[in-house]
Amino acid sequence: MSILPPARADSTEAYLEASGPRLADLCTSCGACFDACPMVDHIDLRKSDVREVTADIRRLARGEPAGPAAVSWVAACTKSGRCRSACPEQTSGLDAMLLIRIAKQRALNVTHQLASKKDQKTFPRVKTFARLQLTDEELAKWL
Amino acid sequence: MAVTGDRITFWFGCNILRHAEIIRLSILLLEKVGFDVSAAGGPAYCCGTSYDGQPHAASAMSARTVSRFNDAATKEGRGTVVTWCPSCHMHMSDIMAPGNPTSFDVTHITELLTSRADRLAPLLTHRVERRILLHRHIGFATHVAVNEGVHGLLAAIPGLEIVDGPAVPGHMCSALEAVPGALAKAAQETWDAASANGCDTLTTIFHSCHRAMAPTDGRQGVALRNWVHLVAESMGLPAGDAYRDWRKGGTPDVSAIERAGEKYYEQLVEPELRKAPVVT
Repeated sequence: MSILPPARADSTEAYLEASGPRLADLCTSCGACFDACPMVDHIDLRKSDVREVTADIRRLARGEPAGPAAVSWVAACTKSGRCRSACPEQTSGLDAMLLIRIAKQRALNVTHQLASKKDQKTFPRVKTFARLQLTDEELAKWL
Repeated sequence: MAVTGDRITFWFGCNILRHAEIIRLSILLLEKVGFDVSAAGGPAYCCGTSYDGQPHAASAMSARTVSRFNDAATKEGRGTVVTWCPSCHMHMSDIMAPGNPTSFDVTHITELLTSRADRLAPLLTHRVERRILLHRHIGFATHVAVNEGVHGLLAAIPGLEIVDGPAVPGHMCSALEAVPGALAKAAQETWDAASANGCDTLTTIFHSCHRAMAPTDGRQGVALRNWVHLVAESMGLPAGDAYRDWRKGGTPDVSAIERAGEKYYEQLVEPELRKAPVVT
């Protein structure tokens, strides 16, 4: 059972906006998250300067441009979560997975170092799948 | 904190709408162990997790969905939202709740069923003589011990042998789709493990994994089943798997296509059903 945390902002947008700098301030660029990440080898970043990449994550989270390695790394996040448990600052309130998620959002929306690939057909597609299989009653009650 | 009361909202998410029988079976399991279930999902209950590139829209989706669950909690006494999708669960916990006051708590369906394992066990009356490879991911363990939870639920099924598969990256297969080669690598590793361990069934935990592995059903004598399919089998409940059958070359009934809209089916659904499988 997950007891949900209390609201800390008026919206998720506001929460994420405030959390970027807050989490970046908690991060020491030790690189433990990078070392623990199972995607680093997959995208061939193992030889990168760990401290520089993680320092760039902090820059991204603050809305500043970052180097290509950090941008590639945030784009490759698959929510494995190993970063979170590896982070020595977790007990101080640093959620490494959230920091990297916010860094990715900044790369998409602020520094524009990542291109948004949203499929506009996602909702129409799942609705079509629903209409293929669900009864009228299920459609009315569940969706 | 324990679930208070038996009235719950089962929040199944969006993409699981490809797998109607998984939704129905999940509701049935929850009812069989004593819960009063109100099911909710689809775009109107989207968590917003896929909208990193549209933060304002994602924020609005989150607010709307939380508001609906708050109403269910305060007006219907449904103080617990039971999740299926790990993306929804993590998004609620990590991003939606910190940005919206909530009147409910969340738990994953595997946690809830585990808490009532004593009520589920007597229902598992049919032997399921299968040797399964349980397809697992590393992620989501940050929030829910889902691999152990599903293993525990399946271990109660008489006759079932369980081999834990390699824990591949990501929280489920859809997370790997955005990284070139990642999904194919994980899927192949899983498939190879099933074969190497003499398994006759590959068992998925999440819907996007089931979607990814659907074309493998029956290949080299290895069946594909989601964990709820196996629980249903042990309960003697018939359960088809339309998406799996469609992915293997079948098509929906003509009447179903007409109902959904032939144009929508051709443009939105059929291309997905005919995609090349990730496991070669």
